[in-house]
Amino acid sequence: MTATATVENLVNQPYKYGFVTDIEVETIPKGLSEDVVRLISAKKNEPEFMLDFRLKAYRQWLKMSEPNWPHVNYPAIDYQDITYYSAPKAPAEKKQSLDEVDPILLETFEKLGIPLSEQKRLSNVAVDAVFDSVSVATTFRKDLAKVGVIFCSISEALHDYPELVEKYLGSVVPINDNFFSALNAAVFSDGSFVYIPKGVKCPMELSTYFRINTEGAGQFERTLIIAEEGSQVSYLEGCTAPMFDTNQLHAAVVELVALDNADIKYSTVQNWFAGDENGKGGIYNFVTKRGLCAGKNSKISWTQVETGSAITWKYPSCVLVGDNSIGEFYSVALTNNMQQADTGTKMIHVGKNTRSTIISKGISAGRSQNSYRGLVRMGPKADGSRNYSQCDSMLIGSNAEANTFPYIQVQNNSTKVEHEASTSKIGEEQLFYFAQRGISTEDAVSMMISGFCKDVFNQLPMEFAVEADRLLSLKLEGSVG
Amino acid sequence: MTLHVASTDTVEKPMSGADQDRQAYLAKLLAQRSPDGPSWLGKIRDRALSIVQERGLPSNRDEDWRFTDLSGLYKTTFAPAAQASLHLQDIESLILADAPLRLVFVNGFYAPALSAVDHRPVGLSIHTLVDAAPLAQLGQQQGMTEVFTALNTANFEDVVVIQVAKHQIIETPIHLLFLTTGEEPTVTYPRGLIVAEDHSAVTLIEEYAAVGADTYFTNAVTEVWVGQNAQVHHHRIQREAKTAFHIGKTAVSQDRDSCYSLTSLSLGGQMSRHNPLVIPTGEQTDTRLQGLTLAVDQQVADTHSDLSFTGPHCTAQQLHKCIVDDRARAVFNGKIFVPKLAQQTNASQLSRNLLLSTKARVDTKPQLEIIADDVKCAHGATVSQLDDEEVFYLQSRGLDRDSACDLLVEGFAAEIIEQLPIAQQRQRLLDAVLSEIR
Repeated sequence: MTATATVENLVNQPYKYGFVTDIEVETIPKGLSEDVVRLISAKKNEPEFMLDFRLKAYRQWLKMSEPNWPHVNYPAIDYQDITYYSAPKAPAEKKQSLDEVDPILLETFEKLGIPLSEQKRLSNVAVDAVFDSVSVATTFRKDLAKVGVIFCSISEALHDYPELVEKYLGSVVPINDNFFSALNAAVFSDGSFVYIPKGVKCPMELSTYFRINTEGAGQFERTLIIAEEGSQVSYLEGCTAPMFDTNQLHAAVVELVALDNADIKYSTVQNWFAGDENGKGGIYNFVTKRGLCAGKNSKISWTQVETGSAITWKYPSCVLVGDNSIGEFYSVALTNNMQQADTGTKMIHVGKNTRSTIISKGISAGRSQNSYRGLVRMGPKADGSRNYSQCDSMLIGSNAEANTFPYIQVQNNSTKVEHEASTSKIGEEQLFYFAQRGISTEDAVSMMISGFCKDVFNQLPMEFAVEADRLLSLKLEGSVG
Repeated sequence: MTLHVASTDTVEKPMSGADQDRQAYLAKLLAQRSPDGPSWLGKIRDRALSIVQERGLPSNRDEDWRFTDLSGLYKTTFAPAAQASLHLQDIESLILADAPLRLVFVNGFYAPALSAVDHRPVGLSIHTLVDAAPLAQLGQQQGMTEVFTALNTANFEDVVVIQVAKHQIIETPIHLLFLTTGEEPTVTYPRGLIVAEDHSAVTLIEEYAAVGADTYFTNAVTEVWVGQNAQVHHHRIQREAKTAFHIGKTAVSQDRDSCYSLTSLSLGGQMSRHNPLVIPTGEQTDTRLQGLTLAVDQQVADTHSDLSFTGPHCTAQQLHKCIVDDRARAVFNGKIFVPKLAQQTNASQLSRNLLLSTKARVDTKPQLEIIADDVKCAHGATVSQLDDEEVFYLQSRGLDRDSACDLLVEGFAAEIIEQLPIAQQRQRLLDAVLSEIR
């Protein structure tokens, strides 16, 4: 067998999160209109300002058109054929304790490796579990409240802390930012809200787990993280969805705000259903993620491991406004079969002495397309700012495609920008070298890939680094030969 | 080879005021057309004209023109350039003693009095439209559907045709000088067709300059056919007037085992754009692209290169440098496309940018699109000012700060300028670069 054939065999692992939970759900009819927006808002019993926000976004959205510049192809999306709200049927009251949560749901999350019950839950990670459109449970809330950290679903935050939400929602990603963020602003159903007060170092990892269950439903969640002066938080999100042969839309918005000396670390392990080997089904993952380093010496770090989704379109960005602020982006994007990914980052340097680092590793196998698209902009006032970018691609099989589109815009001569990129493949010679040492091809490939991605995995919290490594080797199983 | 108009812009949108203005401008430009020439040309021109009309003029909403504002061009009314006579002493500063073969075009018209083509080596044929046989290769390169290229095809007054016969090595460089003269804003459409047949070699210096002209528009196209195992060393020097507009295309196709190198210097023009488009059609070709852009004052200098492989075992190296001073702006977009067929490609691309003032601006986008898996491709980009440590080092050797900076800039520019074949010209250009940034 040739090297390529083995690598290819290695990638074709069945998707093990593809089951559907049979649970009674409450959905609204398909389609989008002003009434639907009002209905969602009413269902969530939201304050007045929220409805205005949604309606404004909806009206903006009507005027906008879908972006056509990404290097991806998909049939036109019928926005009237999507269910914009779907939630497990439950009593109106929000659960006070986990015991009241539907056991089927708990079971579902357990099956996904996210135990929520008291006995089994991970000891140092607080989890907010989002099922279709709503948050079903948040663990460790009381422990977090003791140090003043607010960690809850955004719908709860709207009731309990409306002034905070009103102040920051849409401040980083304005509603008219792009087509999908406007859509999200109009119909978002739930998401996580994190507030770290002044000087607090969050005692544990925070995490949100997103699960799409209902066929034909779109998921539109909104995450808002605010780190006050001198605070610190590490946040992780994970996602899975069942296997359907229709495509599902996931258009999320994530906003991060870091004030003076604050530090936010945001990690994503994305494993949405990617469609079958012929590209049927799968999630369209059209996500807007942006962090604002508003304060001096603040830092926002994005780490992402993108393995799922039929189409990924996301550019976690940092707007470095505060002097001496730092933006980081570490990414591994793996595409296989017919997957398409157009992902990268934007580093907008506004303040003085701001620094950013971009490390992007793309692996494309099968007939997939993997594009890195990044923007580094040095504004006229960003004196002494610095950027270093590195994007490497690895091609497995001769039908995969790897592209890089780095945009570099510099308006200040005291800045320094460096960009490098390379493309390579797993060579037969390298595999032979491993074989000589008695290491099987599969192990060799997974070792090489894990070495290739090491710079990024090192950035993930411990538990998830192991998880990500395993996920990648599972995903690649059967693609190397 | 067939020409087809790609229909990327399918979405019909209502026309805005700016769209209408551009259309009116284009209609005015086209109304001035008085193209004559042999009948075989008619068909090519008609096709080009319909492409221009179908596509319309771009604006900065088109991805290819996002960073370069054409509104200055669209605000100026250009008359068609008329024949003008210049004397040898007018162009003395442009003549190269070591390039005895010289073809001069003034306002797009061939000027035999200024040219020197008497001592033509064996195997080299030089023609203009008057004495050229029907040119099967004219307008056949890829990328001819790009609107400004088609505009040139529909309008050019004359063509310089240089043909090198099989197995002929032309030792002396051929100097092509495209000049614009006259007070009024005029538009010229210089056109070149270079055919290097199999196993031949030729060196070209293509130069654009002004003699007593300020605001004008040069829309140039050069097509180059590199035959099997042929070598073409192409040097393109754009030294238009500071207030001129320049849009140029260099379309190249390379047959198997051929070498093509392009050194492209861009110094003049308030808005200038160069689109090198190289398509190696055969296997095992070698391509070198070197570029230097100098932009000062309020200049906007744009380079959009496209290198699209079609076969295996090709190598390519690209180095593009920009020096930007004052409030000027440099744009670089370098695309390298490696399709599945192009296995064993070895390509590298580097974009290096030097910003000399706080208001200078660079937009660079080195772009790789790769489908083949057995390839080595790398690209890089750097943007910075002069390194303080380097300046300090030179100062510690007794140079004052200004001379230290000059020396560093000279070194930065020299890497590209040194590729030019004639010493006299190298010196002229280095001096020009230094005098601009002082």
